[in-house]
Amino acid sequence: MSIHVLGIRHHGPGSARNVKTFLQQAKPDIILVEGPPEGDELLRWSAHSELKPPVAILAYRPDEPNRAVFYPFAEFSPEWQAIHLGAHNNVPVRFMDLPLSHKFALEQKEEKKEDNISNYTCTSNAAANAEVYRDPLRYLAEAAGFDDGERWWESMFEHRINNDGVFDAVHEAIQTLRTEIPEKDNLVEKLREAYMRKIIRQAEKDGYNNIAVICGAWHAPVLVNMPKQKEDTDLLKGLAKVKVETTWIPWTYNRLTFASGYGAGIQSPGWYDHVWHHPADDGTLWMAKIAKLFRSKDMDTSVAHVIEAVRLAESLTSLRGLSKIGLAELNEATLAVLCNGDDILLQLIREELIVSDKIGHVPYEVPKPPLLQDVEKTQKRLRLPAEAGIKELTLDLREALQLERSVFLHRLLLIEIVWAHPLNVRSKGTFKESWQLKWEPEFSISIIERGNWGNTLEEASANFASHQAKEASSLQVVCVLLEKVIPSDLPKAVESLITQINNLAAATNDVVQLLEALPSLVSISRYGNVRQTDETMMLSIVNSMIARVFVSIPTACVGIDEESASALTGHIYQLNESVSLLNQEAQRKEWYDTLHLICDHQHTAPLIAGYCTRILSDAKVYQGDMLAVKFNFALSRSGNVSESASWIEGFLKGSGTILIIDERLWSLVDQWVQHLSEEDFIALLPLMRRTFSQFSHAERRKIGEKAKKGGGEITVKVTETSLDNLDEARAMNALPVVAQLLGIQKKKNEIST
Amino acid sequence: MSTLLRQHAEQLFAEELQELKKNDKDKCPPNWKLSPQAVVTYLLGGKLKNGFEVSPKYIGKKRLIEIAVATLTTDRGLLLYGLPGTAKSWVSEHLSAAISGDSTMIVQGTAGTSEESVRYGWNYARLLAEGPSEKALVETPVLKAMKDGKIVRIEELTRIGSDVQDALITILSEKSLPIPELNMEVQAIKGFNIIATANNRDKGVNELSGALKRRFNTVILPLPDDMDEEIDIVKRRVQSFEKIMELPAEPPAVAEIKRIVTIFRELRSGVTQDGKTKIKVPSGTLSTAEAISVVNSGMAMAAYFGDGSLRAADLAAGIIGAVVKDPVQDKIVWQEYLETVVKPRDEWKDIYRACRDLGV
Repeated sequence: MSIHVLGIRHHGPGSARNVKTFLQQAKPDIILVEGPPEGDELLRWSAHSELKPPVAILAYRPDEPNRAVFYPFAEFSPEWQAIHLGAHNNVPVRFMDLPLSHKFALEQKEEKKEDNISNYTCTSNAAANAEVYRDPLRYLAEAAGFDDGERWWESMFEHRINNDGVFDAVHEAIQTLRTEIPEKDNLVEKLREAYMRKIIRQAEKDGYNNIAVICGAWHAPVLVNMPKQKEDTDLLKGLAKVKVETTWIPWTYNRLTFASGYGAGIQSPGWYDHVWHHPADDGTLWMAKIAKLFRSKDMDTSVAHVIEAVRLAESLTSLRGLSKIGLAELNEATLAVLCNGDDILLQLIREELIVSDKIGHVPYEVPKPPLLQDVEKTQKRLRLPAEAGIKELTLDLREALQLERSVFLHRLLLIEIVWAHPLNVRSKGTFKESWQLKWEPEFSISIIERGNWGNTLEEASANFASHQAKEASSLQVVCVLLEKVIPSDLPKAVESLITQINNLAAATNDVVQLLEALPSLVSISRYGNVRQTDETMMLSIVNSMIARVFVSIPTACVGIDEESASALTGHIYQLNESVSLLNQEAQRKEWYDTLHLICDHQHTAPLIAGYCTRILSDAKVYQGDMLAVKFNFALSRSGNVSESASWIEGFLKGSGTILIIDERLWSLVDQWVQHLSEEDFIALLPLMRRTFSQFSHAERRKIGEKAKKGGGEITVKVTETSLDNLDEARAMNALPVVAQLLGIQKKKNEIST
Repeated sequence: MSTLLRQHAEQLFAEELQELKKNDKDKCPPNWKLSPQAVVTYLLGGKLKNGFEVSPKYIGKKRLIEIAVATLTTDRGLLLYGLPGTAKSWVSEHLSAAISGDSTMIVQGTAGTSEESVRYGWNYARLLAEGPSEKALVETPVLKAMKDGKIVRIEELTRIGSDVQDALITILSEKSLPIPELNMEVQAIKGFNIIATANNRDKGVNELSGALKRRFNTVILPLPDDMDEEIDIVKRRVQSFEKIMELPAEPPAVAEIKRIVTIFRELRSGVTQDGKTKIKVPSGTLSTAEAISVVNSGMAMAAYFGDGSLRAADLAAGIIGAVVKDPVQDKIVWQEYLETVVKPRDEWKDIYRACRDLGV
């Protein structure tokens, strides 16, 4: 009967190797691993060939899925090696940490307590303790002449080749530490260790004789020197419980660098992976990897560079009195030899090699919450696997599979899983989409969280969108949502959103809200898209909204300040575009009537009045004398000068070039100026300046030139080509190009004849 | 006390080097006076086993010095790179003093440095009288260092013309220097290596060729990380200056040094220490070395023209001289700084007045 307690560091490649060798020699009949007992059920998957690390056990509360804990495993994690070895040799493996059902319950209790009592009483003491416990290994490291605990542990235990008695050494070191440092006053820690002992006793009771225990080094001593069983049972008595579920999810190396479930984040997973696979590497292979990386980025790196870098790393190592080259030495050698002392390139090495983006894989059969399962199935069906690193994807929506992919990504966006960022596509038409994909492991948890909206992605996203629409109080929010829902192919959600828009539109008093919402709706209803959205329904909504706008816009233009007038002018411009897009005769007539109303109202903001007059003049509703009358009326000197200025600004808005080209407009302004008396002209001069100052420099210069010439037509020089000496054969050569330019596609042979 | 104006590192710190040697248990590379570990201790300071205190020569990251020393144990040259005044020459002098016990093998790089001053030259009188012989050969520090197995320093490598720079390639890779005129070659003895310094701020420098760059390991010496580190550097160097110059002035108070360092740091970074006000940046580097020389000249002023203790007026001229390198641009920068930053600080009234009195 023997119990082997193996104290390790989570995700330490050296520890992993030691554990592996030890277990192979000792041949235990049961392996106990520090981890959540709720995950025991999941361990039967560990022999599955498709479960490839890095993976993590995700434990969450079904009623509150955002309360979740991850237990990540990399290939070089000692725990993973133990589990793996157990699975392949038919040795039972059990987790032995405090069950998460208790831990979550404790956390909940803690929060409630904190709400009630103000917590300043015990902070000073806790802070002092925290300082001691932040890195207890530091004390040993300092004694050994290292400046940080991590590096000491690494060179002491992780980089060792000879491992005889290493676990005894760890045990002894921690034992000393734990007796020297005051006992940690943390209930959860005590409960955890008590529970670990409980599981060990349970294993003994179950008749196992050769028990291997894999736990964090810190816990090792208290698992060897067991207190009385009764103490532990008393401690563990009456713990509260909540429901917890677990599943496997893929993890990434990048995410391993963050502190996770048990606060064991590591800095350099890529390097550990290297050390695990190539324990005997003296830096040569690592440097070769760096050289390969540099070459792939078009940076010249010779073999001599690699040789020199390895040599420098070696002499640094011996200078520091270490027995094996570590990452710090290799990095410094790289910096001095390969990067010419410039650490920007080290950043690249960091991303690509030291962390490296590797993602694990979980078999599809592993039981998961339905929504997560649905998403994963769809990923498989659409051949869109979750991958580490950034990937770009361009979709042609005219193809069925690609359209489905796009719908899938849009739906995920809708439930706020930002796996894919939409990119701008530089081509016309709506059939092309471009995405940037970057999977983060915590998406799994967000997906589980959204599981309460439905069991399939379609259902969940539709429900989530409808819910958001119902909560929304402003029309614009719903319209933005609608723009997202339409590409997600969710007819039910579209329907409920449109109803919501209709309701909000009816209830709103703010015409600006309607105006803001209109342009995108109009473009959807007019052009439709490749997704066969129901456009007739949209159209009726849009028409009713426009009708509402026509009724309320004249009053909205009255008695407003300059800023809102200018904003409203922008909206009127878009509304005008929308009306011409929809191209309905009756509606257009109504629009012109509305514009009449706006222009004729005495108190309409002059900027808007000017702009509306201009629209009507463009539409040839105002013509000839009538236009001149309006023009002179608005600019008559008796009125307020600044109002006249705004009016002309509105009238000429954005039309510097038009003024140069449109002879009618030019003569209108020209005539008006000519008929001014000298006094009036001088008084109006500053106002005109304001209008013209908004045109671009080139436009102003041209206008000036044109005025200098005394106006009149701009003559375009046309040289008459005589047809007498035309070379017909040469002219024929140009015909295909001309045909192409004009869009007359003739068949090739027709042209050639 | 020696009558020399400035002693070499190995003279000034002879005692420290001796103690280090006595306590050195680690293995020395061939022809090195000290083991690499002891060299690092010499540069960074520390307490020896017998209780002897070694003063720090370089205050900054240990990592950098370790890379530099490790480089010299390999057969690659060391290139110290950085802004002017970041202690490049200082480090190279002490490295060669500690390693070879001799920091005098030095070639100063200028635009006019010729191949003769890098490889070898001829004593023409002798050459004409006796014909080519070894006696007519004028050895350069490089050649001497090769023969003796010592470190040679090349200052301002990038100022030397590219064609002359490349003369170093054979020396660095083959470790030998052919003398075709005498049909012979000089092969370097173990312990030979090159420390070159170069700065990356100067205009009109000659970039190293790829082939030469490949034979150097580069260590970039940075500006000090924080205020305290910089104050520490200035304080130590000023104290050693007192020792060397035998100045009667009262040792400068840390407060005075702190003010200068603050001014330099603020102007260098373009923002005040509290991060609230933006400042224009003058054209000079305003390195720590310049801060040291401002304090030193201030002390000389105080000793010979003042009452013996360092006052704002003694420093003012030095500060202005360091900041205003371009008479038009920098003057505006300095005046703005004076009016907007220095003036409102109550405890800085004396500096403000002193600088105003100088009328710049």
